[in-house]
Amino acid sequence: MGPLMKSPFTRSPLFKPLLLAAAIAVLTAWLTPAQAAQPTGAAMAHTCAGCHGTQGKLGRVEFVPLAGMAETEFKRAMLDFRAGKRASTLMGHVANGFSDSEIDAMARYFASVK
Amino acid sequence: MLKRREFLQAGAALFCAAALPARATGATQAGAGHVVVIGGGVGGATAAKYLKLANPALRVTLIEANRTYIRPYGSSEVLTGHVGMDDLNVSYDALRSRYGIEFLFDRVVGFDPARRRVRTAGKRDIAYDKLIVSPGISLQYQAIPGYSEAAAASRAPSGWIPGPQTALLARQLQAMRPGGRFVIVAPPSPYRCPPGPYERAALVTEWLARHNPTAKVIIVDPKDSFVTDAGMQLGWHRLYGYNIPADYLKDMPADVVNSGRPAPIEWLRAKDGGTPRGIDSAALRVATDAGWIKADVLNVIPPMRAGKLAFDMGLTDAGGWCPVERRTFESTAHEHVFVIGDASIADAMPKSGFSANTQAKVTAQAVVNQLAGREPGEPIWENTCYALAGSDYGLFVADVFRLKDGKIAQISGQRYLPLDASKTRIRLAARYQQAWLKTFTEDCFA
Amino acid sequence: MRRVRLLVLGMLSLSLAAPGYASRPATDSAATPRSPVAAELRATLAAQPRGDLQRGKALHQSLMCAACHGETGVAPTGNWSSLAGQRAAYTYKSLLDYQRGDRHEDDRANLMAVVVRDMTRQDMADVADYYASLPPPPAAAPKLTGETRRHIEQLVRRGDPARLLTPCASCHGASGQGGNNETPALAGQSVGSLAQTLHDYRSGRRVTDANQGMRQFAQRLTPDEIEALAKYYASLSGKRR
Repeated sequence: MGPLMKSPFTRSPLFKPLLLAAAIAVLTAWLTPAQAAQPTGAAMAHTCAGCHGTQGKLGRVEFVPLAGMAETEFKRAMLDFRAGKRASTLMGHVANGFSDSEIDAMARYFASVK
Repeated sequence: MLKRREFLQAGAALFCAAALPARATGATQAGAGHVVVIGGGVGGATAAKYLKLANPALRVTLIEANRTYIRPYGSSEVLTGHVGMDDLNVSYDALRSRYGIEFLFDRVVGFDPARRRVRTAGKRDIAYDKLIVSPGISLQYQAIPGYSEAAAASRAPSGWIPGPQTALLARQLQAMRPGGRFVIVAPPSPYRCPPGPYERAALVTEWLARHNPTAKVIIVDPKDSFVTDAGMQLGWHRLYGYNIPADYLKDMPADVVNSGRPAPIEWLRAKDGGTPRGIDSAALRVATDAGWIKADVLNVIPPMRAGKLAFDMGLTDAGGWCPVERRTFESTAHEHVFVIGDASIADAMPKSGFSANTQAKVTAQAVVNQLAGREPGEPIWENTCYALAGSDYGLFVADVFRLKDGKIAQISGQRYLPLDASKTRIRLAARYQQAWLKTFTEDCFA
Repeated sequence: MRRVRLLVLGMLSLSLAAPGYASRPATDSAATPRSPVAAELRATLAAQPRGDLQRGKALHQSLMCAACHGETGVAPTGNWSSLAGQRAAYTYKSLLDYQRGDRHEDDRANLMAVVVRDMTRQDMADVADYYASLPPPPAAAPKLTGETRRHIEQLVRRGDPARLLTPCASCHGASGQGGNNETPALAGQSVGSLAQTLHDYRSGRRVTDANQGMRQFAQRLTPDEIEALAKYYASLSGKRR
């Protein structure tokens, strides 16, 4: 027996439920889409390029160029689109296809494009 | 063109005689190699560009029959004179000069998958490490009794692959007698550009309202529904007084009331007897279950299947499309060969330019990874199709796709412009459609 | 005398009912842009309704202004102007110009024409006052040095009498905070957006300046001066008025 089993904590009546909760938490985290296989930031960013330019570099003004955009700016826009807090023609639909951590990865990609 | 068997033999005989090493470059440098892309449409061009973006050391050769690409997306705008035929032309110069992609303007006439070689009409033998084929569609003119390619070229154009038929159709529309009938025969699914026939109907109706106000558009359809059908019909209703069928009416905004008066656009569905049974191209009429439909201009969009090259190369299944392993779009028929774009079987993804563009990117990265001995990454695809119900009335379908249980599934939920969308949103969608034609072309070809 | 007074009264009431700055039919978007007549413009701006900030904020949302002009009215890219802290009269006049069909100098203007089509004058006043109430855009890092900086500061503060150029500051304020009537604030605008505007005036594509004030000015600038002026104003911080 390791020292952990002898600690006062392990003898607590809460120990078993806690262990169970921890196991569930680990399992849930493993099963949620955010933890499922995730495309790379670049792969996700490439799906934006048809409107926002290759690697987010865009010479036109109708759509927002994403290359070099600050991470916070990108994340806030995508999260607001996804939550329906910001009106859009179709970005709400698109944002719905990405998890928080995927939006993070895309934000890092676009911020890194010079 | 050779029969499929001859096609394969032509390749084999030639390559046996040549007795060249099996691999193209020997791939001495880690991850390097020779990737050959056949077909310079949206899929092929995007694949070539993104291969070079992912690994500039890669040798990429694009084989394409024509020196200039004629874009199909947005080509219905030629009918109404919004753009000219020349505006559809897209140059390959940027792909060549900016990315170092080698171009071979030639036709592929032989294929030896065992030795990884293709042969062209110009007698070039090209070895590849990986082959990406983007063969597009072929139109099955003969699938409708009485219709033929000759009829399409002279009397009843399809104009679905842009070219002389598009120009012919535009001339026919402009010369149509006052009060004439412009009949569109819509295709069965699956086909290229799902909202396309209905957008074309809308743009022609809008044009006629100005130039031939007593004329009429009739869509003869073997289907009962289409992509963006509710939104498109709402647009037709608002702009042209179209009467919305009862089964669609219940979901429409409260202010939508059919006038019951004859409208300048009519959609004859399968359930209304609209399935086309035959074409009389001499008399310009369509046989349907609801009787003969007489036309003054007859635009037949025939059933489709994969481009001819896909059949010649043995990449198709019994249904006429190309089965692929979904993660990478590698052909299930031949190793090291990938099939992208309209010709591929991609489950929930529509056959659209945007789909082909994102398929090309996923496949390019998978090929680069394979050559470098890495696993293919987790794929993600997207499709955004804008469509017009009028030049100032935009619609769209927007999807994100993922791999789910070995199939491609739409995972982003709602796809369409909601029926209660504001006027501003509708007009912006139309404006964005025009901008998209340019940004999208740049992502594929520049 | 009485007749004259009646005539004047008649003109006044006419201008109240339909201020000279009348909108054109929406279908007429391809018409030749017109320059404002100064008297009409003054009357129109004098009749600008008081804006409702809450309605303005709601319109900022529903008309999707944030897509280009930023969620807080600070444009995330150099393609579009920041509207936060802008003078309400300028925003109001600009919206009217778009709706009148007098601005289609570039793709930005064509997009704006679509957005403003159904706006009422009250809507325009509401968003104009809403943007005016927001904190102005932050200053960018100064980019001008040495001789260029001295030259641009001279242009801004003293003008160039040899080219009949009045100082920018005489209308746009000593720190680019904007001036009287519809003269806009420039401090904190992105380089790209301000330079594009100056180029549009210089080429005559944009004609909505009263008395050709900006066109005459911009036509006498070199492209290098336009770029440097844009950098100068981008590095100023907009002061609250």
